[in-house]
Amino acid sequence: MEINTASATISFAKKLEEDSAKFYEDLFQRYAKDEDVLLSFAKENRKNVVQIERTYYGVITDAIEGCFAFNINPDEYTLKTELAEEASYSEALDKAVGIEERMIKFYSDAAEQSRSLMADIPRAFTLIARKREGRESKLRSLKEG
Amino acid sequence: MAILEEPIKEVSLIKNFIGGEWLKSKGEVKDVVNPATGKTIAKVPISTRDEIDAAVKAAQEAFPDWRTTTPLARSRCLFRLKELLEENFEEVSRIQTQEHGKTIDESRGETRRGIENVEVACGIPTLMQGYFSEDIASGIDEWLIPTPLGVFGIIGPFNFPFMIPLWSAPYAVATGNCVVIKPSSEVPNSQTRLTELADEAGFPPGVWNMVHGGRTVVTGMLEHPGINGIAFVGSTPTAKYIYKACGETGKRVIAQGGAKNFMVIMPDANIEATIPALMTSFFGNTGQRCLSGANLLIVGDDRFYNSFMDAVAAAASRIVIGYGLDESVQMGPVRDKEKKEKILGYIESGIQQGAKLRLDGRGQVKIAGDYPQTCFLGATIFENVTPDMKIGSEEIFGPVMSVMRAKNLDEVIEMCNASPFGNGQAIFTSSGKNAREFQYRITSGNVGINVGIVAPMAFFPFSGMKDSFFGILHTQGQEAVRFFTESKVVIQRWL
Repeated sequence: MEINTASATISFAKKLEEDSAKFYEDLFQRYAKDEDVLLSFAKENRKNVVQIERTYYGVITDAIEGCFAFNINPDEYTLKTELAEEASYSEALDKAVGIEERMIKFYSDAAEQSRSLMADIPRAFTLIARKREGRESKLRSLKEG
Repeated sequence: MAILEEPIKEVSLIKNFIGGEWLKSKGEVKDVVNPATGKTIAKVPISTRDEIDAAVKAAQEAFPDWRTTTPLARSRCLFRLKELLEENFEEVSRIQTQEHGKTIDESRGETRRGIENVEVACGIPTLMQGYFSEDIASGIDEWLIPTPLGVFGIIGPFNFPFMIPLWSAPYAVATGNCVVIKPSSEVPNSQTRLTELADEAGFPPGVWNMVHGGRTVVTGMLEHPGINGIAFVGSTPTAKYIYKACGETGKRVIAQGGAKNFMVIMPDANIEATIPALMTSFFGNTGQRCLSGANLLIVGDDRFYNSFMDAVAAAASRIVIGYGLDESVQMGPVRDKEKKEKILGYIESGIQQGAKLRLDGRGQVKIAGDYPQTCFLGATIFENVTPDMKIGSEEIFGPVMSVMRAKNLDEVIEMCNASPFGNGQAIFTSSGKNAREFQYRITSGNVGINVGIVAPMAFFPFSGMKDSFFGILHTQGQEAVRFFTESKVVIQRWL
C-alpha cells in the first residue's frame, strides 16, 4: 500500500532509521570492529528520528497538503538488513553501503515530494540525505582500510 | 498501517470548570460518540442557566486581580500553557481525532495552529502597549492605554474542537480579561483537556472557565449583563443571531459564519501542484471547514476542462477513507449521522436540479479497516453545476465538490462576488496579472493564490466578509488584542 500522508511518511522514516540503527549495532556485536564509526552511526540514526519528528510536529498544519503530499511505495525503500551466516566483514560493509543508498533515495524522494509542505520538512529530509552521503564514503573507506 | 492508540479509554462524565474547580453539572447528560467507531467515549452535561451564571460570577470576581497582574506575569502563564501543550501535543491531537473523526495529520495541524495563537499572545507586554504624543498643545500630552473590559464568552464549533477557542482565549486572558468557554457539546473532550492544562499552567481561579452545554448556555451568555463580549464561530444563521443579540445588549462581538468558497482554476495553472491542494481544500476535514473549497470554477476550453477534471476525479476516487488514527487514512468520517443525512440531502438535490454526478460518494463506502458505515461518506463530485442550484449556493459542509465553468477572469470575479459569502476564495494560476486582478477585485476576507485552504497564521486576523463574518475586529493577532481591549485616551496638562 502506498504511503500518502505526512504522518505515515514520518513513521516510515522512523522505522527505517531504527532498522538501520539496529543493523549497525548488530554489525559491531558480530565483528567487533570499527566501534566508533558503527555505534556513532546508530546513535546518529536516533538523532535523525528526533530531528524529523521535531520538524514535523513544529510545522504540521492541516492547511497545507499534509494528507495528500506523498506517493511513496514502501517496498522500494524497505531495508534488507539480514546478513548471511558466513558473510565476511567486507560483505557486511557492502550491505551497509546498500542500506545507505536506499536511505539516501528515500530521503531525496521524500524531500522532492514534500516541496509543497512547509519548507522545514523537505529541508530536514535533504539534510539527512546529505549526512548519509558522507556515511557512504566512510563505509567504503573502512572497506578499503 | 498501524492504528495509533486511543487516548480516551474509559467513558467518563465531563465536568465544568468554574472558579478553579471541577464541578459536576446538574444538567442532563448526553453521549459523545466517536464517529468512526460508533463507540461512546464520554458523557457531556447540558449545563443549566445557574451554572453559566456561576461561571460568569467567578470570572467577574477574578477580574480585578487579574487585570492588575502585570502583562509580563500574565504572559508567563501563557508560556507555561505553551510548554504544557507541547508536552501533551500527541495526546491532545489524538483526542481530536477520537471525538471528531479527522485524520491524525489534520488533528496535529489543528493543535499546532492552536499553539501558535498561544505563542503570539505570549508577546502581550509588547502587543498591548499604547502610544503617546507629547505637546499636542502647549504643555499638554496625550496618550492611549489599551485596557481590558472584564469577562468574555467564547463559543466554539464542532469542526475544530481544539483550535478555534484558541483564536480568542489566549488574547482575552493575556490582555487581562477573564473567559468563559462553551465548547461544542458534540466534541467537548478537546477543550476539557485544554482547560486541564490551563489550570496546570497556573491561571488564577476564575480567569479561565469552561461550561459545557447547548442553547441554554449560549443564551445565558448573550443575556448576561456581566459578559462584555462574545467570540463565536459557527453557521451563518447563528452568527447573525448572535451579532443581533450582542447589539441589543451592548456587547462586543466577533461572529464568524459559514461560507461557500470558490476555487478558481485558470488554464495556466500548474496542474500537478494544484490537484493535491484541491484534494485538501475540498475533502480535508471531510469538507467540514469554513475555508473548504466548495465550488470548483474552471476557466478554459473543453480540452483543458476535460483533462483537468479527469485528473481531479481520479485523485478523489483514490482517497483512503477510514478512522483518522490509522496513519494511512486521508479522509475521516463526518461528525455524526445527522450531518451525513444532511449532506446526502444536498447530493439528492444536486441530482434533482440537473447537475451531473461525476463521482458518487453515497452508498457503501470503501473503508480502510472494519468500521461501521454510519458516518462515512466518499468524495462526491458534481459537474454542470450552476450558481442557482442548492449545491452551488448553500454551504454543504461535507466532501462534495460542485464544478462550474466560466469564460474568463471577469466572469469568475462576477460569479464569486455574487455569492453572499466571502470567507476564503482562491485562484490557481501561473500569471501574476491574473493573481493580482483576482485578489484586488474579489470580496473575500481571505484570498488564496495557489493555496487551497486560506487559513491565516496566528499573527494575522482570521478575516471574513459579507455573510461569513459579522463584526468589525477579527480573531487572532493584533486585531484580537484590540477586540479584547478598550482604548482609554488620556489628555494631561499640569497647572
